[in-house]
Amino acid sequence: MYLALKEMRRARVRFGLLAGAVGLLVYLILFQQAISTGLIDQFIGALKNQSADVLVYNAQARRNLEGSIVLPEQSAAIAEVEGVAVAAPLGEGTFTVVAGDPDADEQDAVIFGYQLGGPGEPTTLTAGRLPERTGEAVASSRNAADGFDVGDTVTVVPNAGGTATSFTVVGLAEEINYSVAPTLFTDFVGYDAARRAVNPDATDVLPSVVAVHVAEGADPAEVAEAITAAVDGTEALTRQQAVDESPGVSAVRQSFSVILLLFYLVAPLVTGLFFLIVTFQKAGALTLLRAIGAPAGLLVRSLVVQVAAVVVSGAAVAVGLFWLTTRTVIGSISVPFDLGAIGFTVGLVLVLALVTSLAAIRRVLRIEPIAATTGAGVHL
Amino acid sequence: MTTPPADTVADTAPAAGPAALELADVRKVYGAGDTEIVAVDHATLRVGDGEIVALLGPSGSGKTTLLSIAGGLLSATQGRVVVGGEDITGHSAAELTDFRRSKVGFVFQSVNLVPFLTAEENLLVVSELSGARGGARKQAKARAKELLGELGLAHRAGNLPAQLSGGERQRVAIGRALFNGPALVLFDEPTSALDTKIGEQVMELIQAEMRSRHTAAVIVTHDTRMTHYADRTVRIVDGVLGAEPVEGDLAAH
Amino acid sequence: MGLATTELRRRPGRFAVATVVLTFFSLLLLLLGGLLDGLFLGSTGAIRAQDADVIVYSSTARDSFLRSRLGSDVRAEVEAVPGVADVGGLGFTLLGATVPGENELADVAVAGYELPPTGVPEPPPAGHAWADRRLEDAGVSIGDTLLVGPSATPIVVDGWVEDTNYLQQGALWTTLDTWRTVQNANRPDAFVPDGVVQVLVVRGDGDLAASIDAATGSTSTLSVDDAVYALPGVASQQSTFNAIIFATLAVVLAVVALFFSLLTLERTGLYGVLKAIGASTARLFGGVVLQAVVVALVAFVAGGLLAWAADAALPGGIPLQLTVSRYVFTFVALIAAAVLGSAVSLRRVTRIDPASAIGSAA
Repeated sequence: MYLALKEMRRARVRFGLLAGAVGLLVYLILFQQAISTGLIDQFIGALKNQSADVLVYNAQARRNLEGSIVLPEQSAAIAEVEGVAVAAPLGEGTFTVVAGDPDADEQDAVIFGYQLGGPGEPTTLTAGRLPERTGEAVASSRNAADGFDVGDTVTVVPNAGGTATSFTVVGLAEEINYSVAPTLFTDFVGYDAARRAVNPDATDVLPSVVAVHVAEGADPAEVAEAITAAVDGTEALTRQQAVDESPGVSAVRQSFSVILLLFYLVAPLVTGLFFLIVTFQKAGALTLLRAIGAPAGLLVRSLVVQVAAVVVSGAAVAVGLFWLTTRTVIGSISVPFDLGAIGFTVGLVLVLALVTSLAAIRRVLRIEPIAATTGAGVHL
Repeated sequence: MTTPPADTVADTAPAAGPAALELADVRKVYGAGDTEIVAVDHATLRVGDGEIVALLGPSGSGKTTLLSIAGGLLSATQGRVVVGGEDITGHSAAELTDFRRSKVGFVFQSVNLVPFLTAEENLLVVSELSGARGGARKQAKARAKELLGELGLAHRAGNLPAQLSGGERQRVAIGRALFNGPALVLFDEPTSALDTKIGEQVMELIQAEMRSRHTAAVIVTHDTRMTHYADRTVRIVDGVLGAEPVEGDLAAH
Repeated sequence: MGLATTELRRRPGRFAVATVVLTFFSLLLLLLGGLLDGLFLGSTGAIRAQDADVIVYSSTARDSFLRSRLGSDVRAEVEAVPGVADVGGLGFTLLGATVPGENELADVAVAGYELPPTGVPEPPPAGHAWADRRLEDAGVSIGDTLLVGPSATPIVVDGWVEDTNYLQQGALWTTLDTWRTVQNANRPDAFVPDGVVQVLVVRGDGDLAASIDAATGSTSTLSVDDAVYALPGVASQQSTFNAIIFATLAVVLAVVALFFSLLTLERTGLYGVLKAIGASTARLFGGVVLQAVVVALVAFVAGGLLAWAADAALPGGIPLQLTVSRYVFTFVALIAAAVLGSAVSLRRVTRIDPASAIGSAA
């Protein structure tokens, strides 16, 4: 312990650089993990935290809500499929709104329209209540401060020829954002009115998807398959499938997993190789220490202490930087400070760093104290 | 033994002919005030052309400092240093670097050769450092081969230092020191890392090579068994130079 | 320099660690950059290709193409603004399309246009389109009839254009009328009457944006560059990825500094001897920098090949796009990091005293 820390104090630049490099790598891992989960949650939280067991898309929409509309005859056919208890319209659109203060700047908001009491209602209410009549809405709690708090009024800005339509926020629900925008859940009639406000020429407002509650005891996956098979031009997905197969989500997940894997490899690699080189360089000193009676275990322990000290101090820097990052909003994504995830990442990097340091430990164990007398163990 | 005053040492040196090295009243002081340490005190020494001088002293006597000053590795605090006719007393660090590259040769104790270069390439480092190109490089190559041949290392030219014996490594180092045809070669304990027999062979080689080239040498050692290879032995104790009885040296020849 | 290169050749093992680590980093930088470029280029091609000065949105659209609507009255007002030379309508619809002989649908962006964007010919006949070459990956060939959207509106592919995609969907460039047909058949909730477009692209001189917005009172006008960054997610993608890339470069810098300071430390004795026999600090340090640059170069080539292999091996859903400019950027960044990182060793090389070669046994 004494030796290990003494050495690190003497070679501050080297150990500082290593801890700095490890710290930045751990920070990048934390940041990217948070971004990828934050991104995914804020892109499709609305799908994840709504009550429908199955969502039926237009097959042409490629599982993209924005590109899907379900035709009236399809909606009717869906309701007839075996295992479907309730089938109701669910509409989704992005609108320009003024939220809270009537003089506030315009902003984007996503509005979901569902059948009150039916499938597609938010399941994570944290304040207030669910809407009970047209003109009421539940908002994403993340955006409460942006004019979407309980009691606030949100007005859809109409296009030329359209009529403005407003919603009163009566409740807040957690993680119901869609496309990283503030999100409202209201009834389908209100959604229809919002659509017509911006498209006064709209001939018909069709649901984006049909939300389905399956019958008691029915398996959502089987019902979804049955709907896809029975109704031409539709693709039915369970809630989880709709989340996982949302366009972009799987691509984001795969992209980040490749990059995170590389970062997870590189951090311990740098640490392990550094200690291997350092151990080779001080083989002479280690031989001397063994000759004057230092047990091999002591030298291995001080190596392990150094690895741990480097990773832990690097991780401290990383967590500090990451905490600062979570205080600010990156683009429009807010990054959660999740202690569990941080602990896991730091632990994993520490374990991997110790594993890659086994090469250095092996080198220490191979040192023969007798070599000190002949000089054979001293590498110049 | 009586040690004559330092400033009389010059009188004991051969007075005739040009000098390879002239140290005049050289002082080297480390630190200042109460912590002042005098490493070399009013040293005056003249080494004639082709003369071999052994500088004998215990560790800490100042012999290393004196050698470093003579080779332009350290600047004296006071006094004059002339090597091969060039007065280096007021030289800047960059001028000293040039001087070391062209006017003197060094043979060190153990870290001597570049480990990843062959014997021949270790000699060529000298011309490499002088920026030799084209024809000059070809000439340098020929000279390296010739030198290695003279040192009995022709068959080892392509070997790395790790493949050479201790004595062979020292011979390569001597070859490198002689490469630029210096007026003076400085040896720092050239035999300390070798056993007695190999050490004697190396000393014989040094003596023969210096004589045949009429090159002066200063050999720092603490081993009295090696002094009889020199023309003259100068003792140094606590930074002060003194002459060895002249008869001892003559007896060796 | 001879010494430095000879050491690289004779003792490659000594540099293996730094090379392996830097190879990983160069792969990481290329993949991160390739993803960013893939996301950026695939999302913005249709806008970047616009051969125009400004893009005019309706002021309620918050710079979103899909929400913007401009009628013929606004168009007339824009055309009357002094300095305006050409005005063209533009509209996009994002849909899935059935490709003959393929099971999977293709993601398409049907674009109606009047003023040809760079690389796109004059508008094709009604019901025909110039397709972005990206659609080739989805099985589209010239002459195919694609059935677009839930209403299966037919569009015939007449030829290829390059780098014109919109929000990761393959563009189909059609007349404004064909676009309206597609939009109205498939999105009755977002009906576009005759004469209405999403945005206007304008060519002309002077401070167009300000004068157009002043003249209409109901538009928001952006330069083409600003319009690119107004696309959803583009600006935050750029800033997030660039932050990650530059943080990664900082790590590269630290790693180069670390490994080369270890190497320099190892060579302290040797440098002492070389300085004693006349090598200057500049020459020795130059050798260290040269070695760092060579290591970075080798790592760049190895990382580049790995990134190229990864591009081929990764599933098509990942929008990875390796561009020449990304390779150049990564190359320059790695070399710069190598030079700067190795500079940490300058102090140590400078401090080595040539006098240390004498009187030391080791």
